[in-house]
Parts: sequence; C-alpha cells; structure tokens
Amino acid sequence: MTAQAQPAVAPLPTRAATVEAAGPVGDRGAKWRRRIAYVILIGYALLMFVPFGWSVITSFKTLPDSVRLTIIPDPVTVKGWQDAITLLQPPLPQLFFNSFLIAIAVTITNVVLGSMAGYAFARLRFPGREVLFLVVLGTLMIPDQLRLIPVYLLLNGLGFTRGNLQYAGVILVLAISGTSIFLLRQYFLSIPRDLEEAAKIDGAGFFTIFARVMAPLAGPAIAAVAILQFQGTWNGFFWPVVILQDQDHWTLPLGLNGILHLSGGFGTNWPPFMALVVAATIPILLLYLFFQRYFVEGIAASGVKG
Amino acid sequence: MTATATRRATGRSERGSEALAAYALIAIPMVLFLILNIGSIFYALYISVWRWNVRSGPQQFLGLANYQALLNDHVFMRAIQNTLYYAVVWVPITMAIGLTLAVIVNGKIRGKTFFRASFYFPALASSAAVTVLWIFLFAPEGLFNSIRGAIGLNGLFEGLGYGPTKNWLGDPDTALNTVIGLNAWTTSGTFMLFYLASLQTISHEIYEAAAIDGAGAWQTFWKITFPLLRPGHFFVATVAVIGALQLFDQAFIAGSPSGDPANALMTMVLYLYNAAFTQFKFGYAAAVGIVLFLIIFALTLIQRRLFGTAPSW
Repeated sequence: MTAQAQPAVAPLPTRAATVEAAGPVGDRGAKWRRRIAYVILIGYALLMFVPFGWSVITSFKTLPDSVRLTIIPDPVTVKGWQDAITLLQPPLPQLFFNSFLIAIAVTITNVVLGSMAGYAFARLRFPGREVLFLVVLGTLMIPDQLRLIPVYLLLNGLGFTRGNLQYAGVILVLAISGTSIFLLRQYFLSIPRDLEEAAKIDGAGFFTIFARVMAPLAGPAIAAVAILQFQGTWNGFFWPVVILQDQDHWTLPLGLNGILHLSGGFGTNWPPFMALVVAATIPILLLYLFFQRYFVEGIAASGVKG
Repeated sequence: MTATATRRATGRSERGSEALAAYALIAIPMVLFLILNIGSIFYALYISVWRWNVRSGPQQFLGLANYQALLNDHVFMRAIQNTLYYAVVWVPITMAIGLTLAVIVNGKIRGKTFFRASFYFPALASSAAVTVLWIFLFAPEGLFNSIRGAIGLNGLFEGLGYGPTKNWLGDPDTALNTVIGLNAWTTSGTFMLFYLASLQTISHEIYEAAAIDGAGAWQTFWKITFPLLRPGHFFVATVAVIGALQLFDQAFIAGSPSGDPANALMTMVLYLYNAAFTQFKFGYAAAVGIVLFLIIFALTLIQRRLFGTAPSW
C-alpha cells in the first residue's frame, strides 16, 4: 500500500464517489464521463459482434453478392452451406465428427485423470508427494514448442501419425494437463475433511472415498476443467496440424486452414468459407451461453498456466 | 487443516496402503509427464546435436553446428525480429484496451454482464475461425475496405499510401500489423477479465478516502488504481509476452507455413515448424525449439525483475 490519496487539485468526485460524496447534487463532469463510457462500451461491443454477424450474413449470400456492402443477402441462398457440406474435402460432417471425437476424449481423460491425481495430491500422504507435485507444476512451464520435435518423432516412430492412430496421437499428447490436476487439487483442498473422516470410520477405502464422497463434491471444479479442455481442444491448432496428416482425420480448424489453400490461397469462394467459420464457432458459443460461469473460472486457471 | 491434528495415529500398514493408493491414482499422468514433458526435454537436447532423419534417426553427429547454423540464418533473424516487433506492439496495446474496458465495466454501468460477455465473445472462437474471418474482412473487396470507402475515408488512406482495394494480409508492409489488430481484437476481452479479477483486490476504503480528499477520477486512476494493480499488470504482462512469443496459428493460416508474404509473417515458432515439416531438418528444428525456450525463459526472468513477484490471487 504505497499509494496514497494525493491532495486535491481539481475537486471532481469519481464515478463511484458521485453517489456517496456528491449525492443528489449531480455533476457535469461525471455525467459526461458516463456518456463517454457508454459510447466506448457500445462501440467496442459492435466491433466484437459485427465481424461475426457479417460471417453469418455472408454464408447465406451468393459469391458475387458476398463482396457487396449489403446487409440482406440478395438472393438468400443456402448454396454456401451446401458447398461446405458437400464440396469440401473432407466434408463438413466429417470435420465435425473428428473435432467432437478428439475434444470429448480429451475432456474425459482430463476430468478422470485430473480428479484422481488431484485427490491424491490434496489428501493422501505418500513419499515424494511434494517433488511429484512440483513436476506437475513444472510441466506448465515447458512450452509446446520445445516438446514439438521430440514428441512428434516419438509418436511418428510408434505409428501415431498414421491411420486412425492419428486420433490417438493427439489425444495422448493432450490427455492430461498440469492445469487440470492443479485446479482439481485446489478444489479438493477446499472441501472440509469431516465427510471423509465419517466415511473412513465406516471403513471405506481410499478409492471408495474418492469415488463416492470426494468426486461428487467436486462438481464445479470438474465442470470448469471439462469446459476449459473442451474449448481448448475444439479450437486447438498446434498439435492437430502436426499430428493429423491425413485430410480424413482433420479437425475443423485444420479444415478452415485447408479450405484457404485448396482454393489457391487468398480470396474467392467466401460463402462456404464463412459457413465453415459459423459452424466451427456455434458449438462453443452454445457452451458459453449455458455455462458462462465456468468459462470465467477456467480462464483464470488457464492464466495460471501462462 | 485442523482435522490433521486430531487424526489418530496410523499403523505402518495403513500408511503403506495410503501410499499405494496414491501412486495408483497418479500413475497415468505421471508416466505421461515423464515421457512427453520431462523426457522430451532431454530427447530434444539429444536430437539437436545430430543430423536427424525422420525415419532412421541419428545420421551424423554435428555437435553445436545446428546452433551455429541457426544464429547465422537470416530467415531466423527475420523471425526473431517479427516476433519481437509483434510482442512490443501487441502486448501494450492489448493490455491498455483490456485495462480500459475493465475499469469502465467495473464502474456503475448498466448492462455490465452483457458488455463483459460481449468483449469476451471473440476469444471463444478458434484461432483458425477468426483468422479466416479476418482474411475475408481485410481482403481487397472485404468489409473493411468497403466500409472505409462508403464513409469516405479513402482519401485519408490514399494519403497514407493505401489504395482502395488493399489486400491487408497479403501485403508485406501491412500483414503483421493486421495480425496484431486481429489478436488485439480477440484477446482484449480475456485481459479485461484478468484485470477485473485484479480490480476486486483493491479495497473500497482506499477509493472512499480518495473521494473524501477530493481526488478526481483521472487522478484516482493514475495515483491509486494503476499502481495498486501492479500484481495484475505483472500477471497479464507475463501471460501476454509468453503468448506473443509463441505466435503461430494466425501467421500459419494467413501466411502459410512459409510466412508469406515475403517472410512478413515468419515467426519463431513458424520457423521451427518449417525447419521440421517442410525442410525435414529435425536436428536443426530441435535446436530451434531449445533456443526458443531459452528466449522465453530469459524474458520471463527479466519481467520478474522489472515487475516484482507474481500475484497471490
């Protein structure tokens, strides 16, 4: 607390102070500040929405219409969507399937392995606990770029870059993150011990206590981990672009990248491009609308990951 | 915590079974970390001193030659230059936007929740989706050029040397700045959320004291809020710089793996990808990865020196 309030030069109350200090008198400076604040907020919100709105509109336009500055498509057509579903290699449903498969698998492994390990680190006593937990935290400091070559060569040598094992390769690399273990451990630490003690007196073993008592209590942390991992994997680019070599196994982000290069680089067939952008974004948008609270918790945690 | 004290003394066998249970519960993650994280560092060091073939493995021992070649490569120097430029411009801009939004949203404002959710909205989408979207928006006939034409700003842009159908991501002079704009747009909401968390740690009493002393809004911000957010600044800056040094997806998608146009979008990580997957020089690429790690690590330490320790929240 080194900062202190400085003596007044121009006595203008703050926005927060307007209510308490200035009271009902009101203040022109504060009123203007509030107006400017709303202009910034509304302007910036528009800047957030307009590009996505434009992608939705464009996906229903014809190609010549897609470069015109008109809000209502003329004519409204679903050809862009049809092209995205049929013309694209691989077709949109296949991209969706691949993305779902990998994202769901990674979510499940992180929740299951993360809560098991999180419980062990939070509650059980065993030799080497502190050192091993440091290892978990240490993994968060190793950037993926350092691991790229050795991990790729290892997976390639074991056949994880060919056939359906490509899915397994991506899932293996992302199966458990230090963030998941850390988040769940912190949550388990915050649960009072009484319930466990009661179960222990009843003769329950550690696995029973974990499965019957602790895991059910960790709902909010599990939800945060699940959403963080699902979103991260669904949107992920780095490991998929390295491991998923066959087009048939591409996820949506790889399809988005591929569509640009298929058509010879920049420009051209915008309506199906934008259909793909919309399709790739909607699942996460729905998740956000329903589970906003957990998103914010996950973001704070992923920040810890750095 | 208090229960530990009342915990009854446990026998040797119960201790043993507790440890066994723990090892069973952490076994899979630990094995994966050992191979894919810890082990991979040593493997990377080993690979980096060889000419390495993707199929047959080590071919010729090179010692430090890969590292020497790296420091003499002008494309790598360009990659470092681009990445540092990106970090130096993108980090402060995005932090400033995030902080401004956080301070406004933290005040007495209607529709707080709505604004907060809107500003985070672009961060939901994948890097691939937003990059493709921006390629469209900033194409010669894209929305950005159309709008500036429609509202009569073409003269202004002409004065800066930008024609009415400029391809912003396709021109070496503007490609990197357009990516900076793209990522400021997607990430400002995330930084706002970090700053909002940090703002909660400043007590109301300090503001009340300042108001009683008659401090203005501007003064309160610079003399109280800004300095007290120091742990927040450190946290956001660290996350931002590390993220900036790892710039990859957007450059890869907008510029292809070769960092087009004319290496304008060549970043350090893209260079690493290229060395391995377009030139198949795996030993060399492993050396790039290690140098990248050292650069990131060094910059994090320097930041720690400048801003003090990490926040406790």
